[in-house]
Amino acid sequence: MTEKISEDTTRKVANLARLALTDAEVTAFTKDLGDILEYVEKLSEVNVNGVEAIVHPIQLSIPLREDEAAEPELNSDGQPRVLDSAPEVLYEGYKVPPIL
Amino acid sequence: MSDLRFLSIKEIHDGFDEKKFTPTDLVNELLSAIDKSETNSVLRPLKDRSLEQAKMGDQILKTQGKVPRSETPLFGIPIGVKDLLTIDGVETTCASKMLEGYIPPYTSTAVKRLESAGAISIAKLNMDEFAMGSSNENSAYGPVKHPTHPDHVPGGSSGGSAAAVREGLCTVALGTDTGGSIRLPASFCGVVGIKPTYGRVSRYGLVAFASSLDQIGPLSRSVEDSVRVLDVMAGHDPRDSTSAPLLKGNWLKSLSGAESLKGLKIGVPSEYMGEGLTDGVRNSVDAAFEWLRSQGATIKTMSLPHTDYAVATYYIVAVSEASSNLSRFDGVRFGKRPKSADQVDKLEDFYKTVRANFGAEVKRRIILGTYSLSSGYYDAYYKRACQVRNLIKQDFDHAFKEVDVIMGPVSPNTAFRIGEKSADPLQMYLNDIMTIPASLAGLPAMSLPCGADEKGLPIGLQIIGKHFEEEMLFSVASAFETSKLGEEK
Repeated sequence: MTEKISEDTTRKVANLARLALTDAEVTAFTKDLGDILEYVEKLSEVNVNGVEAIVHPIQLSIPLREDEAAEPELNSDGQPRVLDSAPEVLYEGYKVPPIL
Repeated sequence: MSDLRFLSIKEIHDGFDEKKFTPTDLVNELLSAIDKSETNSVLRPLKDRSLEQAKMGDQILKTQGKVPRSETPLFGIPIGVKDLLTIDGVETTCASKMLEGYIPPYTSTAVKRLESAGAISIAKLNMDEFAMGSSNENSAYGPVKHPTHPDHVPGGSSGGSAAAVREGLCTVALGTDTGGSIRLPASFCGVVGIKPTYGRVSRYGLVAFASSLDQIGPLSRSVEDSVRVLDVMAGHDPRDSTSAPLLKGNWLKSLSGAESLKGLKIGVPSEYMGEGLTDGVRNSVDAAFEWLRSQGATIKTMSLPHTDYAVATYYIVAVSEASSNLSRFDGVRFGKRPKSADQVDKLEDFYKTVRANFGAEVKRRIILGTYSLSSGYYDAYYKRACQVRNLIKQDFDHAFKEVDVIMGPVSPNTAFRIGEKSADPLQMYLNDIMTIPASLAGLPAMSLPCGADEKGLPIGLQIIGKHFEEEMLFSVASAFETSKLGEEK
């Protein structure tokens, strides 16, 4: 089901995942991914005609509730506590470089 | 008082009642053992926090005279917490540079329930980065060493949890299991580990690796201690819509002696007893079957025909989910943002600078997951894997029409040497061949010590049960414990 993975493919996929790889990483990952995908190729032997694809091991109904906002927990400065985890904060928001 | 470290929950409570020692004595003893430990199983002892909790325990004991067991069944019990679970105000890194310094503003439901029942969180434990690994060599803070064979791995990804329990650094540890991450280290370190049914324990506050597989569970030195902890931790949580709204039975009552084995139907998949097993593993597991038979159980060889496809299925499903889950690490809302990220002029370079904090195995899996979900490959990889996952689940459904539990080894081999498999990711993945199928099917499964190989390395017996029928597992496991086959000579 696949062609052998190339270094270009590794670079392209890494870019999609927003990962910067060094040349050495590209070489190493290309080999690893090739090995793994070759192994995974064995799934093509399985007859899956008419088999339902499951994304969960147990069928659960999705519980519904009213969409009600909870009051944010505040820190000692009166700011929402969740902002304490951010790398940089300005006023009541996340501070990011101008490019965003 | 050095044996305080290895007491069971019941023995600790009796000791409190008899005023032999206090929660503070116990916590101090463990903190000093953590300080001396050389396995690197602990990332962060929670010294001030645990001593404060212990002091409150001392006060309660003083005023009430004895342990308030019914309100707080885990009163004064020190637990270790895998660093994948959040505790309000306590650094949580997932053993990754990405989350270095991250202080979550909330506590995971699992830990919250244990602390409400009186447990004391004594340490955050080492693990493979974001739970990705089978040997605990992938931690950004250094590998964990095997507790009795320091040049060997403890297994992963909950290697710190298994080692800490074995070393006596906590009474019970919390681990998480996605494809075997509780059972494998439990097996390698010779302790008990339980992966409950998917949905049994809330995942709220558990940093997600693969959401359709991740499950929290206990590791301990006895079946009873794990069951006591799981009993408190399990149950529906409105904050996790996949946590099952089911009542559970009285698990402590399900603990029983060997007499409960009479008439038990045990299925042993021939696929789990094939060529790959080492002699040590085969001999110990065969001896376990022989003992079970002598107690009146029937052992039936059977087939789970899609077992051979489980590792391939898992490594598509898990990495696909991981590539999506780990996209949240963007350096904006939490986690570490290198100074250099502020000097780039393209958004994608900003992300790339931040995401350079991921370790090699995490990057490898994100790339594989992104590949299998990408346009043109989705049907061939992800969709097909989800179909084969269904066939693997159906294998178990068929098997459980004829047997009560399924048994086999946890791993084809005992703990390997540090560095032995780290150069070949595929060989490392194949180590999980016997734990992955139950994970894909969402079944409860556990690892029980059942002996050691010629080098003295522990061997684990795996018991797999039906969905939400943990009672059966606990009954069989506690009965097996009476065989003493798990005690190393």
